[in-house]
Amino acid sequence: MTTKDTPTNTRTVVTDPNVALRIRRASQDTGTVLWRDMIRTARQPEMLVFAVVMGVFFLLLFNYVFGGAIAAGAGFDYLQYLLPGVLVITALQGAQQTSMGLAADFTEGVNDRFRSLPMSQSAVIAGRTIADALRNIAGLVLVALVGILMGFRFASFGGAVVAIALATGIGYGFSWLGAVIAAKVRQPDMVGMLSMFWLFPLMLASTAFAPVETMPGWLQPFVTYQPISVASDAVRGLVNGVPVGDRITWTLAWIVGLLVVSAPMSVRLYRKVG
Amino acid sequence: MTTRVSNPVITVQNLRKTFGSVEAVKDVSFNVEPGQVLGLLGPNGAGKTTTINMISTLLHIDAGEASVGGFDVRTQPEAVRQLIGLAGQSAAVDEKLTARENLELFGRLYKIPRVERRRRIDELIEQFDLGEFAERPASTYSGGERRRLDVVAALVAEPPAVFLDEPTTGLDPRSRSELWNTVRSLAANGVAIVLSTQYLEEADRLADEILVIDQGSVVAQGTPDALKRDLERDVLEVHVTSRADLDVARELLGFDESIITDIEARRIDIPIPDGADRSLDLLRQLQEGGVSISNFQLRQPTLDDVFLALTGATVTESEELTT
Repeated sequence: MTTKDTPTNTRTVVTDPNVALRIRRASQDTGTVLWRDMIRTARQPEMLVFAVVMGVFFLLLFNYVFGGAIAAGAGFDYLQYLLPGVLVITALQGAQQTSMGLAADFTEGVNDRFRSLPMSQSAVIAGRTIADALRNIAGLVLVALVGILMGFRFASFGGAVVAIALATGIGYGFSWLGAVIAAKVRQPDMVGMLSMFWLFPLMLASTAFAPVETMPGWLQPFVTYQPISVASDAVRGLVNGVPVGDRITWTLAWIVGLLVVSAPMSVRLYRKVG
Repeated sequence: MTTRVSNPVITVQNLRKTFGSVEAVKDVSFNVEPGQVLGLLGPNGAGKTTTINMISTLLHIDAGEASVGGFDVRTQPEAVRQLIGLAGQSAAVDEKLTARENLELFGRLYKIPRVERRRRIDELIEQFDLGEFAERPASTYSGGERRRLDVVAALVAEPPAVFLDEPTTGLDPRSRSELWNTVRSLAANGVAIVLSTQYLEEADRLADEILVIDQGSVVAQGTPDALKRDLERDVLEVHVTSRADLDVARELLGFDESIITDIEARRIDIPIPDGADRSLDLLRQLQEGGVSISNFQLRQPTLDDVFLALTGATVTESEELTT
């Protein structure tokens, strides 16, 4: 690092920060943006309410309306099957809010201010995704509590904690995908629509609501390995206290994959100037 | 606080920017010294925001050079960002945060140490009279309050270079004059300021040097007085009694583009290249033609006249400015 006094001012200007300083400043900025997004989250409780209401809606709809048909004759308690899938979907909806929020920053002009500041530009996305992950945890706990009221039983507390962590993790991975979409499209309405495009097919053609065996053969390979399914299966095993096989590994692989691909891409798109 | 030196803080050389086939900025050059206000004057779409966004590292510079405090905008944007504050059209505040929280947010991102940051924020809130709404979210502010916070947010780190992009567009006269005072006091403290505006009066009052921009090109550059002097002609302002008189007068004068008719005010502005004699001839001609003249005056050109002469058009929004 070298510092240089500008001719116009006695202040010190950092001209060539080394890697360690860059990392320290990036984490500092991430903390600042996180602080800002937590305040925003607290001032917009409807974001959390929306996520929870959607989750509860899915629980009620599938358990009481479709549950009978899906689980008919299968000889298992459908609620025990359903809740884990709903937890994963709730986490993914939280991820959608990441892209909506980032896109709103573009239209409100806050991003232009951020880009004129001596800050780590990736911190804007990192802070936001972490804030959304924290909100997601609150949402997941609330949906789980509603599930318990409906008669759901967690096999163990530890399993529940790991399950919620895993659901939050896959939501976090998708948050960065949401950031890619936001940085590319930059308009909240458009972002909302695009998110539906990936979320709905992924959600319905998954094991979140129904076992893979009930689906046509040609669809099964996709359903088995797509992220919502593997995460739902992993969470389901953990909360029911049954073996999960390769499902946790697949979930972690998806999380890592999403981060490795989306994080650099979103930061590059975000930084992109005209 | 700042050390005044004679070196220019902001230097811009032959700046160029193209969006697709549109040349938004064609060839803009200027220097801004500490304590100087440079006015970028032009209508909507003239290239003012594009110019400011390039120097403040928001937009890629297609060609030409720009530096702030000796740091190259293209190769050392991170250093430049430590020296600038940006406000106006180009940068907003967080709507959900209060004024104090916004200032805290930007202060932290500028890496101002905690104690100094708190002191500075209190000072700014006091100095710019943000106290009454400092604890309310920005979404509840009036246009004037919002713009004031916008500008103050750019000042958190006491930057030696400040860019104000149309800071008074849409403001009521009172807020506008408050902002003008802010700009003056910043300049008095040695800050180099680039201010873009559509308002001639604003540029006239605040700027030490004005760049008149039209369709991406600099059409004139100089101090307000020099620009007016360059026009080398006076303006004869004739006020007539009725609408009908106005029509008759225009007939008599012939339809010259350089003559401006203000129908509301029943006034005709006639450029007079050769002084008093010509004015007397014209007035006599009008009177003999039956025009009832209520008042007349021979005056120095205003920036409005300069602008018209340079661009062949009046400023798009010719809002009346009062203080």
